[in-house]
Amino acid sequence: MIKTARVRALTIIILACVLGGCTSVPKQSLYKEIGGHKTLNTIYGVAITRIYTDPVIGHYFKGVPKKHLRDQLVLQICELIGGPCEYNGKTMLESHTGLNIKEREFYILVEYVQGAMRDVGLTYQQENRILKKLAPIKYQTVNL
Amino acid sequence: MIKVLLLSSLLISFTAFADSGSRLVASGGVTGFEGAAGGGITPWAFIGGYTSKEEVSYSANIQYLSLNDYRLTTAGAGFSLFDRVEISLQRQRLDISSGLTSNVFALLTEGAISNANSATVEQDIVGAKVKVFGDGVFAQDSWLPQIAIGAQYKKNRDFDSSLSLPDGSVPLPETGVPLLLGAKDDSGTDVYLSATKLWLGTPSGYNLLTNLTARYTKANVFGLLGFGAEGNDSAKLEWEGSLALLISPTTAIGTEFRTQTNRLGGLAEEDTVVDAFIAYFPNKSLSITAAYVDLGNLPLQESSSGFYLTVNGHF
Repeated sequence: MIKTARVRALTIIILACVLGGCTSVPKQSLYKEIGGHKTLNTIYGVAITRIYTDPVIGHYFKGVPKKHLRDQLVLQICELIGGPCEYNGKTMLESHTGLNIKEREFYILVEYVQGAMRDVGLTYQQENRILKKLAPIKYQTVNL
Repeated sequence: MIKVLLLSSLLISFTAFADSGSRLVASGGVTGFEGAAGGGITPWAFIGGYTSKEEVSYSANIQYLSLNDYRLTTAGAGFSLFDRVEISLQRQRLDISSGLTSNVFALLTEGAISNANSATVEQDIVGAKVKVFGDGVFAQDSWLPQIAIGAQYKKNRDFDSSLSLPDGSVPLPETGVPLLLGAKDDSGTDVYLSATKLWLGTPSGYNLLTNLTARYTKANVFGLLGFGAEGNDSAKLEWEGSLALLISPTTAIGTEFRTQTNRLGGLAEEDTVVDAFIAYFPNKSLSITAAYVDLGNLPLQESSSGFYLTVNGHF
């Protein structure tokens, strides 16, 4: 009987999390919290340098000016995490259609961005909250 | 135990050269004692290892669970194909102490026989899991979980392996532990459906994994005590759940439950299994999980809980 109660308690916790989202409301935007444009610019600077020299995915960026890509990506994530930006470049779908990017290649890129966030000094929690916003981009880039 | 340690050090040395896939670390869960990737005692909808749609990986795993008079040692290997299919092969070995088998005989013979040899129950499990829907990791803009269906064919190898006494005699010929306790069959197939979702950045920036599994099975204590019972031979729906929190990029803590139906009754009454675990993923090739598992009643051991250790390698 004690067991059943324990199981029930666990189920309620799971349900509460699923339904309520288990979220905590941050006082300021994530954008401000991590240090705004300057931090994002550093993160993507680090990530892009590594991405451009990667043997598997580097070739996709041949001929794409580093600074242009960096500015676009910073704008995009700035908007996603509550910054005062409006991304006005090509949509992710537009810029990736026809490239037939593999899932594996997308994951490699994700790890570069994740690694850059860590190297720049973001906390694990900040990194996860940003990843949450970036994750759905998979469906606007892979296998198109 | 020495065998287990040797195996683990082998696994650890192999994994140094491994390339196990490109998915995010820890997103493959760990291999449970029945061979399926997930938590320690329940499968998840995630395909084991870190393969993407373009990759294939192999895995090897060992588990050890110590429960006083019972010891469960399991080991196996598996394939993960294209983040879609998982195939696994597992051997389980349940060691039962001579103290416990002696008590069984004492009970059966009203004390006439009070000394028996230790016993072993082995089981093989062939498992397959297929992802049918969803992306529990990257579809963060949706609440929909990833869904997988799976099957585990289980064959008890000691259904009719007789228990022996110290003088070599066999009082109950061709009666193994499962048969002695009233089980009907030596094999059965579990089918299950798992729904799993990773909530990135939740709660408070950590990552939370939620899993619910429904299993349709006739197994008594996972099949270690056979399948079905005389007079109660129907398969039942069982519920299993996992809750895991990634507290760092390499560490998860969590808890799980798994219901069981009480078919055999008497000595072999079954309870809901619960565990609490901590899993460490130093890299994509290796994971080490320690847990405290409570199975409740096992025959002649009303309170069966103990330490569980799992080592997984992905190549």
